Amino acid sequence: MTITIVLALYIITSLGFITYLFFRKDSILFLIRFLYAACISAHALFVITLWHSSGRLPVATPVEGLNALILFSSIAFMPFVMKRSTSILAAFFLPVAACVLAFIASPLQSTPGVLTASCQYWYPLHTLSVIMGEAFFVVAAIVSVVYLIHERNIRTGSIHSSVSALPPLTMLDSILYISLSLGFAAITVGMILGGLWASAVGLRFSHIAPKVIAGGLTWLVFALSLHQRLAIGWKGRRTAIITLIGFVLMVLLFIIINLAFPGSHGIRLI
Amino acid sequence: MERICCISINHKNAPVDIRERIRVEPADLQAILTHDAEACPLNTCNRTEVYFTTLEKASLLKLLEGLSGVDGARIEKVCEYLSGSDAVRHLFMVASGLDSLVLGESQILGQLKGAYRQALAANITDTILNKALHRSFRTAKRIRTETSIGAFPVSVASEAVELAEHIFGDISDSSVLIVGAGDMAGIAAKRLKDRGVKHMHIINRTLSAACDLAAELGGYALPFERMSDELAASDIVITSTGSMHPIITRDMVASAMKVRKNRPIIIIDIAVPRDVEEAVGKCYNCYLYDIDGLKAIVDKHFVHRETEAKRALEIIDEEVDKFEKWLDSLSARSTIKDLFNLMDSHIADQLDSLSIPEGEKTVVENTLRASYKRLLHRPVSFLKEHPEIKYIENVRRIFQLDEDFSDRHKG
Repeated sequence: MTITIVLALYIITSLGFITYLFFRKDSILFLIRFLYAACISAHALFVITLWHSSGRLPVATPVEGLNALILFSSIAFMPFVMKRSTSILAAFFLPVAACVLAFIASPLQSTPGVLTASCQYWYPLHTLSVIMGEAFFVVAAIVSVVYLIHERNIRTGSIHSSVSALPPLTMLDSILYISLSLGFAAITVGMILGGLWASAVGLRFSHIAPKVIAGGLTWLVFALSLHQRLAIGWKGRRTAIITLIGFVLMVLLFIIINLAFPGSHGIRLI
Repeated sequence: MERICCISINHKNAPVDIRERIRVEPADLQAILTHDAEACPLNTCNRTEVYFTTLEKASLLKLLEGLSGVDGARIEKVCEYLSGSDAVRHLFMVASGLDSLVLGESQILGQLKGAYRQALAANITDTILNKALHRSFRTAKRIRTETSIGAFPVSVASEAVELAEHIFGDISDSSVLIVGAGDMAGIAAKRLKDRGVKHMHIINRTLSAACDLAAELGGYALPFERMSDELAASDIVITSTGSMHPIITRDMVASAMKVRKNRPIIIIDIAVPRDVEEAVGKCYNCYLYDIDGLKAIVDKHFVHRETEAKRALEIIDEEVDKFEKWLDSLSARSTIKDLFNLMDSHIADQLDSLSIPEGEKTVVENTLRASYKRLLHRPVSFLKEHPEIKYIENVRRIFQLDEDFSDRHKG
């Protein structure tokens, strides 16, 4: 399995979902659900191929991390795609996923190597847990965007075209809450596992400080979002906005750290 | 050839005092139908119509006069009489909701299907009306599929319900509060009840009026003083009172939202002057719509429906043409002609598939033609002797002479 095939499948499925956004036909939905399943299968197969060829879990570099994040996010979206009322959410996610995949496709094929640090069990567990959490945040961010669009449509009364026939606000809010909760739990576990890994391989704090600070900041934003919701009753728009802020922060920190502090995770490939 | 005719007493040409008195049942028509005549009555609140063939207009008007007690001359003055393709077009427009008071509404199709079922049960329809009615159902379905004429609500109450569904999804478990017991509130409440809403509370300054509406809707009547408590417990609020001042203030809604922990609430204010302070719309997760806002949305939909109606009329013209062609084909002469055309095309197909010299082809062609003619001789002679529609229709079906022979009995 090559990244080109995976990327082609993502692009075709994205176009299918965009078509479905405008023409709500059952036949289109049936086809794009099938394509979506094919996307995930092909992508998973590609990751397994990478794993097999490098002899390590392919999540050591930022590019590999992004690749895994797209796969995990696609899997996280799968239940919504299978449900008729929420399947349209993929029309907002897949084009973004396809663009990111296109951006990383070339470097992804040229990042073999072995890790310098001894990783044992903690590192893969830490990484997978964090990526899983980030995948749920991707779901939350996409749902937040859809929520804000749909809420605006409802306030202006523009709700009758097929494009504006989005899932009801309360349903979007529930998905947002569940994604945030799962993402927050996974990231928290991931951070604890990261600490265990760092102490197991004897990494000094100075090596991992940028990552720890960035991760901690993002974790705080999502913690704040959940706290405000549970304690004060922030539902709907405010949760959507704060989630988007947290997500943008997460993306910015990811870019800044990987550009300014390469190898800041305390590991590198040789 | 029999032509379809129609007598229509509808909301466009007849006042309500006539419309409400004229009603025709299939049993009434049985009395005046001759053996080969067909008829199908349609009775709704906005129209009474009879589609028929081979009947005299005068005898039908006499029947209507006898049934309603309205003077025949008066009925003739207000009724619309159509025949031929005009009647078929009218039937297709009625089925598609294009002749309805609310352009593009779909209820009429169900009523027409019901009327047809009754006519079938009374055995007063046959080949022509069966075909015309099936065609009308098909045309209505095409218009629903190919245009978006029915996709936009055209009443304030429908729009309110639709907005609520975009917020809550399935509203059957939502709590609804109706403030005021007037007609407008009642209409909106009925629309909500139609959508399966189970929890409905009615508040009114006069409790007895609230009790009446509650009894009608299957809800609960509450005194006016319970307003603040009910705001906190309700997801959908519809208010339509005659109050000269706002009765729902921002402070009331803000307090209610605290109790609700910011669960969304939709407030539909259809009162003039308004019952709800404008500032209520600024409360977090509160969706406030007043009558002007809703009307603006509904007006936009009217414009859209009219645009879609133009597309729907093109579909109707197309379907009327197809029906007219079918009707024209229902003569023995054209059916025999179609049979020989079918024979020619079969012979041509068979000759094309043979790879033999041109000279031999002529021999084969003559042999085939002679065989086919022998085969067709009996049905052709039979049709010439019995040029009745039922036989013509059967021959056309057996030999599949019409492109849509297979969907003839689809609704």
